[in-house]
Parts: sequence; structure tokens; C-alpha cells
Amino acid sequence: MKRILIVDDAATVRMYHRGILESSGYKVEEAWNGIEALEKSLEAPFDLYIVDVNMPKLDGYAFLRELRQQEGPQQPAIMISTEAAARDEIVAYQAGANSYLVKPVRPAQLLAHVRLMLGEATE
Amino acid sequence: MGLITGKTVEHAGNAGEKAEPTGEQLLAALEDPDPGVRRHSARKLAGCPDASSALVSRLQREEDVAVREGILSTLARLNDPVAVGGLVGCLRSEDAALRNEVIETIRQMGSEVAPVLESLLGDPDPDVRIFVVNILDSERHPEIENWLIRVIDQDAHVNVCATAVDQLCEVGSEAAVEPLLRLKVRFASEAYIQFAVDLALKRIRGI
Repeated sequence: MKRILIVDDAATVRMYHRGILESSGYKVEEAWNGIEALEKSLEAPFDLYIVDVNMPKLDGYAFLRELRQQEGPQQPAIMISTEAAARDEIVAYQAGANSYLVKPVRPAQLLAHVRLMLGEATE
Repeated sequence: MGLITGKTVEHAGNAGEKAEPTGEQLLAALEDPDPGVRRHSARKLAGCPDASSALVSRLQREEDVAVREGILSTLARLNDPVAVGGLVGCLRSEDAALRNEVIETIRQMGSEVAPVLESLLGDPDPDVRIFVVNILDSERHPEIENWLIRVIDQDAHVNVCATAVDQLCEVGSEAAVEPLLRLKVRFASEAYIQFAVDLALKRIRGI
């Protein structure tokens, strides 16, 4: 079973994403900021990271930069933001994101990106 | 005359005498190439009521995290209109780390900033409105729930409303029920709004 880490400071968002992913058979863990996410990824790397941009302590961009230094580019990461401006998307890719979604994310949209990032066949 | 040494700002008076640097010297030291000097200066400026403008100006350019922490801590202590206005301006920064540091600082500034936050709920930039709604969770102002209800009733941006619903999950009362139900109708095709509103209603009703 593929393991996915959701990194977001909003508990409601984590619950929403967790519900979508678990109902599709993924094992999901949560972190409420970049520091907690780095600690969890050090214990055992995840197959995929779903990362919010704005978080306390360590934001999503900084987390991805640290993650890439720690793990390299192997594990894919989807960045999810409320910001639709092109500059934010560029910063996300520069930080190490493999995909970028703007909130609010629809369930089918999230699953399509997750399957693509994990190299799974899409429906 | 003030001397800027390796790690601090000193005032050179009579031999053997170590006087406190003046406000002017501390302001000049904010531009020192040594981050240690800048950080020390930023912290000492907490005693200078007119320092907010220079601190805000430095904050917008400062790249050293420790110096930024010092500046933010001093701005929070000064807590005057210039400090608050400067911090609010940083919410528009393209630097996500700075934005988040500023959000954490405003959260610690107490209810004096609440009226400024309320006025920013009408800001034309939806990202600023989202940051402000996020900050409201730390406020103890008696009008917070009413402001959040106004947001979900009036704001046209789905992510601003979604953030307000997240906050109402924590602070919402029976007064938020009807506005939440209206929001579900207004954003009937948004799965996240449906999920978040249902969760907020369950929490308010104690289910």
C-alpha cells in the first residue's frame, strides 16, 4: 500500500484529503507543518507528499527544499495552494514540487494527480 | 560617537565608561553588514518608540532569519500604528517565509490589532483576506464570529470562505448555522465547501 503524507496546518483540509485518499486505498499520515513533516519523512520516506504552501514554523516551499536535500528528487510532491498566480507555481517547481494544484481541490482532480505522480494507471 | 564592534553597538564615552548607544546609533546599526550587529540593534530598539518605520523598512529587505526574528519581536512590542501597518504590508510579500513569520507575529500582538484585521477583510487581494481570516483564530475579540459570518455571507472568493469555515469549526455557535447553510447553497458544486460546512455544523451541534 502506497504511503502518502499530507502536510497542511488546516485540520479540515487534512481530513478532507485523507478521506479522499483512504477511500481509494492509500495509507495516509498527516503533519501540520514542514518541521513535523521532515521529522516523519526522516523516520521513513513516503511514496508521495501533498504539501500546502502557507504553514507556520516551516512553509511548504522551505519544506520541499529541505526534503530534496534530505531525500533527493525520488519522492514526488504535489503542492496545493490558494494562490493561482503563475509566480507561485514557478516558485513551487523551483522548490522541488512535481505538480501544483490550486484549492479548492476536487476529489477526482486530486486522485488523478496522485495516480499520475505515483506512476499508476489512470482511469 | 558610536562604535560598531564585532558583535554589538557601543557608545564610546570617557575611558572605562560604557554608555548605552543612542537611538540614532541603533538605527544606523540596522544597516550594518554584520547580521549580529543588526540583530542586537533590532532588539535594543524596543526601547525607541519612533523606531517602527526603520524596522519595517529593514524587515522588507532583511534576509537573515535571526535578524528578522529580532525585528519582528521588537515590532510586536512597539505595537504602534506604524508597526501594525508595516506588518500588514508584509502580508503582500512574495516571500512565503516572511509572510508566515509576520502572521505568527500579528497573532501574538493582542486584541489591539483586531480592528485593523477587520478592515483588511475588505482588502481587494483575496490572499490577504485569507491570511487575515487565518490570523483571526488567535484573537479573543468578541466580534470574531460575526466577522467570520460576514465573510461567508458576503465574500465572493471560495478560498476566503473556505478558510472562514475552517475557523467557524472552532469558534462557531448556533448563530453560524444559517449562514453556513446559505454558503453550502452558494457553492453547491464545491466538494470542499460541502465537506467543511458539514463538519462545522456537526461541531456546532455537538454531534
